[in-house]
Amino acid sequence: MIAALAPETSALTRHVLATDEESDLIRRAQARDQQAFARLYRSHVGRIHALCRRMAGDVAHAEELTQTVFVTLWEKLSHFRGESAFSTWLHRLAVNTVLMDFRTTRRREARIFGTADPAALETPPPAASPGARLDLEQAIAVLPPQARAVFVLHDVEGYTHEEIAGLLELQTGTTKAQLHRARQLLQEALR
Amino acid sequence: MNDADPSPLREQINSLPREIPPARDLWPEIAARLGKAERPDPRALRRENAPKSARSTFRRFRLPLAIAAAVTLAATLHWLRPDQAASWAVDALAGTPRVGRSGIAGTARLGIGEWLETDGSSRAKVEIGAIGEVRIEPNSRLRLINASADNHRLELARGTMSALIWAPPRLFFVETPSATAVDLGCAYTLTVDDQGAGLLEVTAGYVALEHGGRESIIPAGLRCRTRSGAGPGTPFAAKAAPEFRQALDRFDAGDPTALAAVTAAAGESDAITLWHLLARVPATARGAVFDRLASFRPAPNGVTREGIVAGDDTMRLRWAGELGLFAYRLKTRK
Repeated sequence: MIAALAPETSALTRHVLATDEESDLIRRAQARDQQAFARLYRSHVGRIHALCRRMAGDVAHAEELTQTVFVTLWEKLSHFRGESAFSTWLHRLAVNTVLMDFRTTRRREARIFGTADPAALETPPPAASPGARLDLEQAIAVLPPQARAVFVLHDVEGYTHEEIAGLLELQTGTTKAQLHRARQLLQEALR
Repeated sequence: MNDADPSPLREQINSLPREIPPARDLWPEIAARLGKAERPDPRALRRENAPKSARSTFRRFRLPLAIAAAVTLAATLHWLRPDQAASWAVDALAGTPRVGRSGIAGTARLGIGEWLETDGSSRAKVEIGAIGEVRIEPNSRLRLINASADNHRLELARGTMSALIWAPPRLFFVETPSATAVDLGCAYTLTVDDQGAGLLEVTAGYVALEHGGRESIIPAGLRCRTRSGAGPGTPFAAKAAPEFRQALDRFDAGDPTALAAVTAAAGESDAITLWHLLARVPATARGAVFDRLASFRPAPNGVTREGIVAGDDTMRLRWAGELGLFAYRLKTRK
């Protein structure tokens, strides 16, 4: 007869149960249980902060965006129905939240500076000190904001140009040009 | 990435960490903002603003509410308690099933170690403690192995049983000569033939089949064969095309050349089968399975062909989540 389950067979089941535990946390958080929500936060903050850190380019703004993502998650958690993995749903929510912040900033600056060309508002990347070698994270951080957003979404997060164009309200030609620009700047910075 | 010779850049991008924890704990500030985001409960406000008579109506229901809570608590404790009798109720549904040597016409008890048998014209129902029920079809032979609160365990030596379980996962197990079926919250039918080979069909939730280092997860709508000495085969959709099933049977029976036919005949509804195959084919064949699966269900962010071919289990499990393999309980337990 079948012996007890061999330990090496249960990785998949353990994953099922871990997913089950997360499902329970989600249900409790949907019922406004802040302790359960805190545990969801602990599980996912590293991934979300990485996205915000790369998209924002500076630490303080990334922390603020990370907080905003989780506050938004708290408000919108009731919309999660489990049609996709929770981590995927949360990631998409985070991207939307970050881009919403970008768009708001861009429109505010456009009103203040009176230009319709977002690229004109971008801060040029600070020149690296001669001889200074940047790592990739640092090099991403000093990219112009729009090029940085396109690069992170496309090359790091795996979005297509069509998706990015939709998210950033740009033409795909523009996102391709921004990606080309970002890669060139990164290669120069990393030389 | 074709622009400006980016290959070294691609390597660096691939090595970026997936997670960057914040340098300080952000939770206290988030928790404070959650408090502000919360709206007062309108029902509580209405109750506060309600006239005295309404509040006294609420008070009138306190006793019934308390009784209801006590009954719920008692039922929960009853459900969790060890089964003192260590036996389960059996109902004869048709004919005269036998418990041990005794034929039963109405209700009987099935004790630990006892066999329940049905002949060609009898059927029976077994209550699985307080967590579910099993129906036994004709020409079946079933034994109770364990009836403790955390281990409800049967052995199906031959025949067909249908299980309906409403308990948390991993409380109900059915041993067969070729695999153990582990309930993960579900309804299913399990058949074992005279050679000990089995066929599982899941109709709700999902079931794990485990044996000797091999494991399959079968969600609703899929079936899985088990073979003596080989354990669970690869799950397949109940509506899978015959040529796909035949090729899969050949592959599961140990013919590696059948894999090409499996991938060629696979359709969109075979995604979970292809996902299981990622762990069952040699590294040299994983790329082809990856490509076929990705053509139906693109790999999620962070899951790469290279990683899957290299046998990265974390990536494989992440893809399973995208296929809905682990989403069932969330969707149905609301």
